[in-house]
Amino acid sequence: MSHQQQQQGMDSALFERRLRPVYDNLEVGNNRKALQESEKLLKKHPNLFCARALKGLSLLRLGRYEESHSCLQAVAEEKPTDDSTLQVLSFCYREMEQLDKIVELYQHAVKQNPGNEELLAHLFISHVRVEDYKAQQAVALQLYKTQPKNAYYFWSVISVVFQGIRGPESAIPEKRKIYLALAQRMVDKHIKESKMETEQEAFLYLHILKLQNKYQEAWEFLNGELCAKLYPGAPVSMKFELLKKLGNWQKLNELLQELLDADRDRWDYYKEYIQSSFELLETPSEDQINPDKQGFLASCQAFLERIIETSERKKRGPYLARLELHQRMRAVQMPADKLIGDFDELIIEYFQLFGDKSCCTHDIALFLPSISMKQRQDLASKLLAECDISSSSLPQNKEHMQKHICALQISRMCGSHLDLPVDHLLAFYTALKLHYEHGRSTFGKQLLATEMGPSDPYALLAANVMYDISQRENKSDQLFEALCLLQYVLRNSTSNFHVKLLSLKIYHMFGCLLGAQEMYDYLDIKQIQLDSMGYAHCQLLPLSGRFAGARNCYDATLKFFTNSYKERLEYIALTYRFCTFSKMEEFLNFKERLTNSLQYVSCSVEAQICDLVSCYGNVQQNLSSYMAMSIEPAEDRIAWHELSDNRDLEAIIRWDPLHLVDTEAQRKESFDQEVEVLQIRSLMLRLFAAFIDLNHGTKNNSGEGSGKATATLELLRDSWTGLYQRLRLMNYKPLSQTFLVNLLPTRLHLLLELPYESFMDDLAQLVLDLHSGANRLTEQCKRMGDNVVLVMELFVHTITESNEWNGMDGLWKRREHQQKVAACLELLSLYAFLLSVLNEKLQVISKTKTKKNRSSADNKNQDATISEKERGQMVHELMRQLKHKLEACDAAIRTWKAPVLPRDLSSFMADMSLKPEVEATLIGDVSATFKESHELMVTELRNLLKDKIRMSAK
Amino acid sequence: MTTLRPFTCDDLFKFNNVNFDPLTETYGLSFYTHYLAKWPEYFQLAESPSGQIMGYIMGKVEGLSDNWHGHVTALTVSPDYRRLGLAALLMNFLEDVSEKKRAYFVDLFVRKSNQVAINMYKNLGYIIYRTILEYYSGDQDEDAYDMRKAMSRDVNKKSVIPYTQPVTMRELRRELRHEQQKVQQNL
Repeated sequence: MSHQQQQQGMDSALFERRLRPVYDNLEVGNNRKALQESEKLLKKHPNLFCARALKGLSLLRLGRYEESHSCLQAVAEEKPTDDSTLQVLSFCYREMEQLDKIVELYQHAVKQNPGNEELLAHLFISHVRVEDYKAQQAVALQLYKTQPKNAYYFWSVISVVFQGIRGPESAIPEKRKIYLALAQRMVDKHIKESKMETEQEAFLYLHILKLQNKYQEAWEFLNGELCAKLYPGAPVSMKFELLKKLGNWQKLNELLQELLDADRDRWDYYKEYIQSSFELLETPSEDQINPDKQGFLASCQAFLERIIETSERKKRGPYLARLELHQRMRAVQMPADKLIGDFDELIIEYFQLFGDKSCCTHDIALFLPSISMKQRQDLASKLLAECDISSSSLPQNKEHMQKHICALQISRMCGSHLDLPVDHLLAFYTALKLHYEHGRSTFGKQLLATEMGPSDPYALLAANVMYDISQRENKSDQLFEALCLLQYVLRNSTSNFHVKLLSLKIYHMFGCLLGAQEMYDYLDIKQIQLDSMGYAHCQLLPLSGRFAGARNCYDATLKFFTNSYKERLEYIALTYRFCTFSKMEEFLNFKERLTNSLQYVSCSVEAQICDLVSCYGNVQQNLSSYMAMSIEPAEDRIAWHELSDNRDLEAIIRWDPLHLVDTEAQRKESFDQEVEVLQIRSLMLRLFAAFIDLNHGTKNNSGEGSGKATATLELLRDSWTGLYQRLRLMNYKPLSQTFLVNLLPTRLHLLLELPYESFMDDLAQLVLDLHSGANRLTEQCKRMGDNVVLVMELFVHTITESNEWNGMDGLWKRREHQQKVAACLELLSLYAFLLSVLNEKLQVISKTKTKKNRSSADNKNQDATISEKERGQMVHELMRQLKHKLEACDAAIRTWKAPVLPRDLSSFMADMSLKPEVEATLIGDVSATFKESHELMVTELRNLLKDKIRMSAK
Repeated sequence: MTTLRPFTCDDLFKFNNVNFDPLTETYGLSFYTHYLAKWPEYFQLAESPSGQIMGYIMGKVEGLSDNWHGHVTALTVSPDYRRLGLAALLMNFLEDVSEKKRAYFVDLFVRKSNQVAINMYKNLGYIIYRTILEYYSGDQDEDAYDMRKAMSRDVNKKSVIPYTQPVTMRELRRELRHEQQKVQQNL
């Protein structure tokens, strides 16, 4: 027993009992008490490592980082080996993202206890966290020597594989080859010794073979005895993959026929089957000189027909497969009509059979892009005719209605509504509305709370149609009516998330943040949805009109991200623990996607800006909140090239004309713009932090630190003007707003249009001049004053304009106006904070300087620069001016009117069988939401203004 | 018409059209990652020809000796793809995996009020094995049915002889703890 063990392990049970209160307090978040308990314990046992580590953890949790650091460092230097101390220390290092420290910790521990399995396993996982595959391999082998468990052996195998395909050397083809060959040899040896035991081990072997393009070997192993025994659940798709690689289309074709006979509704099988038939066409046949090439397709067709004829229950599979075959034949100019039949008729047959299923629209849509626009619209008319529903005849039953819905959705996808004049569209809307109401009252009465109404899709379509009209007329009336209709639908079918998503969009369009928030809450978006659906709400909040309100939403989102960021590496550790080799790469990639989520990064930046804008304490309080944000202006922490787009843009349903919707192009376009917005925002944040840093904190006030801070500021200022220059040259177009489901414009054009560039640029110069006392300071103060006037005038003007718009259309420009107001206020608020910091600093300096001047009259260099006292007066003057302008803003905002809503609404549902009181409360509720939303916003913005006025009153 | 494939981490970003359904819970990440890491073959997804997620099934296999069984943790189908037999397809898949893992039976918990689901499971050959009192907590606690279906390994169908007495949550927890202790002893 080593000395350390003797000392630490005297009576582990006793110590465990004594340590318990510390653990318990930490667990419930009572960190102060935990600290006291650990200190109490340390008085008796000053050397108890675990108590010292726990003290470090308590300090960490209390935010006393420096004390915590030295406390932890001291324990780590003692090279502890007992499990509980090591656990606590590695927990702390994980929290602080100092993952290499954990590696060191366990390296020391292993050195003192060679062959300790548990410590070695911890060491292995610590290498996993930093993705050091080479070190992983070495430790895994040590582990295997200690305990010949298969898990350890395969840990080392996968570590070798990762060196070949992910590690630093993976880019060198020869190295990759060597590593993979080594991994294979390792497994080969194990197989030879009959030591392969599990399904995941078999998977890994197959994977290694495939990575080396050894498809024949993989095929043989997959079909061999061992694999059948260990890996009976090997997915059949693996067979497809290998047969394809081996070019064995004949065998693949036969295998799929067999599978399809048993399982007749599998799209993955049909797809491969049809592909194999086409591949067989291309394969030169050895038997025949001039084979009947189309024979393969004919037998494919015959096979599908046979499946159709012999199936008792009608399944979509073979029918869709037939359409797919038709489509693919046409794509290579082969006589599809002759072999299979007329395309339109096939579609109509499909529609007759499956039109009553809501997925029928998605199915038919698959084949529309392959036919001309003319044919699409003709087909759409045929499908509508099939439904036999006109203004005088209504659907007879639920199924009939669903068919009608499907035909209507398809006709929109085919572009049939595009050329209709507005009055036709309005009539169409009315028909849809009536169909909704008829369907609801006839087929939707006994709806469970968890079900969607069967006629809801009519209303969704109606909302899209009304958007089209609004877009054509540049007026909000129709869309507002659609919003009311959607809110009506939502009362009847409370779980229809499509309705909530569309309403959310419309509320945002109209700047109604309260309504948007209600819909968002109603959707109950949480966990990973905060990432994938954040674009529908959270991402729209910055500069939308409210600051404090938006901050709550950022908070919820950031909480998810910080949590998963902390856990992200433990997920990967889990795959090792369970030896799930098939998931390791997937988990590693997932970790990257999650941590580089654009939503995550931009939400953090917006939250920080929001905090700086809204701070309301005295200078010292504000500065300490600023310090807690620990922004490093000199450091760009964003991995720009790794940013990941995790948005689930398909979640919002649409039936827009297929030829006008390119989801991928829209995704890319909007993502690119969002990244540019983030560039502006993060640079603005860093620039602003540089302003503060130059004037705050002892290290930057003079000498070397000051030089460095000045240099950083100048550099960032150059990047700022450079960025704006580049963005203006890039000439981005605002995102297309053609359809309701399109994304709202990004803030890029707002940020380019408003005076952000010059404001921050001039502010940078002002800060530099104030720092140096340069002679042109007077001039720069004037420039800054002009900027403030400009922003204030823009603010006032926007409100006047918004009020004027109320006379014409209270909603159409609402969001735009609110954005401008918020942006102006953001600039002025940041400026107010900065002036308060500058003022504070100059006051302190001039006080100390006066004292100094009295004692030693060293005034040589003072002539060239403006004295601190004068600078202080200048800042005073700037504050006085700002206060004055903020008051003007406050006067303007008090005149801001709530949006006037379209007037004729009270009768808009007159033709629906609504009870008058239902109708009245519905419209009343929507109107109240708009009014309340405006009032909340004005109150919040006025409070912000009040805080800033107070801040500028010196 | 379906493509069945393993659920992957990336699908977590795309499953909103399924998870917005009020009966489908969106869990914390660690829940999904735990299942994906431990029972990857038990987490399967059905994809439509257009690439949409139609639904998914999430399950696990556990238990000692003749209690070695497959368990359905979550089964969900998007509203757009209901009435197509998709749930049955996913259940068949899970049973098939459980057969290959030599499980004695497959079980699942369902809300006593969810008559649609209970009927579906009955049609698939599941019986109500027992009632768990107040299994679902919420505004109003709700009982669950523990439903079971024997696999071929349970030749004498011992696993599906129903319990007549309802079980409380405390008893259920004790049962699980007991099992876990036995597992630990075996390690």
